Amino acid sequence: MDNSQREVIISLKNVTKVLGSVRVIDNVSFDIYKGDIFVIMGCSGSGKSTLLRLMTGILKPDEGNIFIHGRDITKISGKELDEIRRNFGMLFQYSALLDSLDVEENVALPLREHTKLDDHIIKIIVKLKLSLVGLKGFESYYPSEISGGMKKRVGLARAIALDPEIVFYDEPTSGLDPVVAGIIDKLIMDLSRKLLITSVVVTHDMQSVFRIADRVVMIHKGEVIQVGAPEEIRNSSNPYIQQFINGRPEGPIDFFKEDTSILEDLLK
Amino acid sequence: MEIKEEIIEEVLVCSINGEINLDTSPHLRKLFDKAIHNKRKRVLVDFSGVTYIDSSGLATLIEMMQKVNKIGGQMRLSNLSDKVRNIFEITKLDKLFQIYPDRHRALENFIG
Repeated sequence: MDNSQREVIISLKNVTKVLGSVRVIDNVSFDIYKGDIFVIMGCSGSGKSTLLRLMTGILKPDEGNIFIHGRDITKISGKELDEIRRNFGMLFQYSALLDSLDVEENVALPLREHTKLDDHIIKIIVKLKLSLVGLKGFESYYPSEISGGMKKRVGLARAIALDPEIVFYDEPTSGLDPVVAGIIDKLIMDLSRKLLITSVVVTHDMQSVFRIADRVVMIHKGEVIQVGAPEEIRNSSNPYIQQFINGRPEGPIDFFKEDTSILEDLLK
Repeated sequence: MEIKEEIIEEVLVCSINGEINLDTSPHLRKLFDKAIHNKRKRVLVDFSGVTYIDSSGLATLIEMMQKVNKIGGQMRLSNLSDKVRNIFEITKLDKLFQIYPDRHRALENFIG
C-alpha cells in the first residue's frame, strides 16, 4: 500500500531538543504508520534514545511538535499525557525488572498500577502474556533465577500487559547472543503482525534492523540522515549509511579522530 | 458495552454489544458471578455485537469457564467476528472455548 494512504500513528514535525549547549535532536521530522515496525538506528550518542524519550513524553522538545494519533503531546496536560501513555508499552534496555518481585508480579505491575481489576483476573492475564512470550510456567521465578534473554521476554510480557497500541523498544537485543537476539526479534515481529501492535525499536544491531524493520530512520548527531524501507537504506548511496551498516571505521562518521596532541603531551 | 440477558430453555444467553475492555469487563464479570450464584450451568455468550475484546475480557471469560466447569456446567461462545476470532486464535483460546458460528447452532447442540 502507498504510504500516503496509510494511517499515521506517530508524527514528528521539526523536533529539536537542546541539552546544555548541544542540539541533541536537530529539526527531526518523520511519520510512523500504524502496525509498522519502525527502527531508529544510529551510533551511540546519535540521539536515538532521546528520540524515544521525546516520543513517550518523558522529555519535551524545545521546538517542534509530536503527534500521537493526531494529538500534539507537547501541548497537553500531564493527565492527558498519562491517558495517552496507557496505550504505550515500553521494553527497557536492561529489562528493568524488579529483583524483589517474581516474574508474575513483575508482569502484573502495570495492571495493578493502572487498573482496578480483580487479583484473579490479573493472574489470568499474566498467564496469557507469559504464554505469548513463551514463558508459561515461569511465574514464580525471580529475575536472578532466569537468563538475560528470558528477562527480556518477561520485560516484553510486562510491556504488553495492558494491550498497548504502541510498544517502544530500547536496544531489545543488546547484550544477547545471536540466537537469543533472533528469538527476541521473532517475538517483536509476531506481536506486531498478530496483535497489530505498532513497534518503535531503537537499535544499532544491523542484523536485527534488516530482519524486523518495515521502515528505518538513520540518525546521526541528532539529525535525520535518511528515512525509508530497509532495502532503500541498504542500497542508499549516502556515505554515512554505508559506513554505519557496514561497520567501517573510516568514513564521514568520526568514531575515532586521529589525535596527535598526545605526542605533544608526551614531550611536555 | 451493553449486555442483554435471556433464558432460552435453561440456557443463559448473554448477548454483548460493544467493546469488552478494561472499563467494561468488570460488568461482565458481575453478570457471570450472578449466574454462578444462581447455579446457571449452561451459558452462551453471543458475540454478534462485540467489536473488540482485550486481555481483561479474555481473562473474564476464562474465569467464568473455570467456574462453570467447577459446577459441572458448560459455557459456549457464538458469532465471533473475524477480528475477534483472530484475538482468540493468537492466544490459542479458540482451542479452550467451544465456539459456534451462530447462536442457533450453539443452542441446538446445547439443548439436544
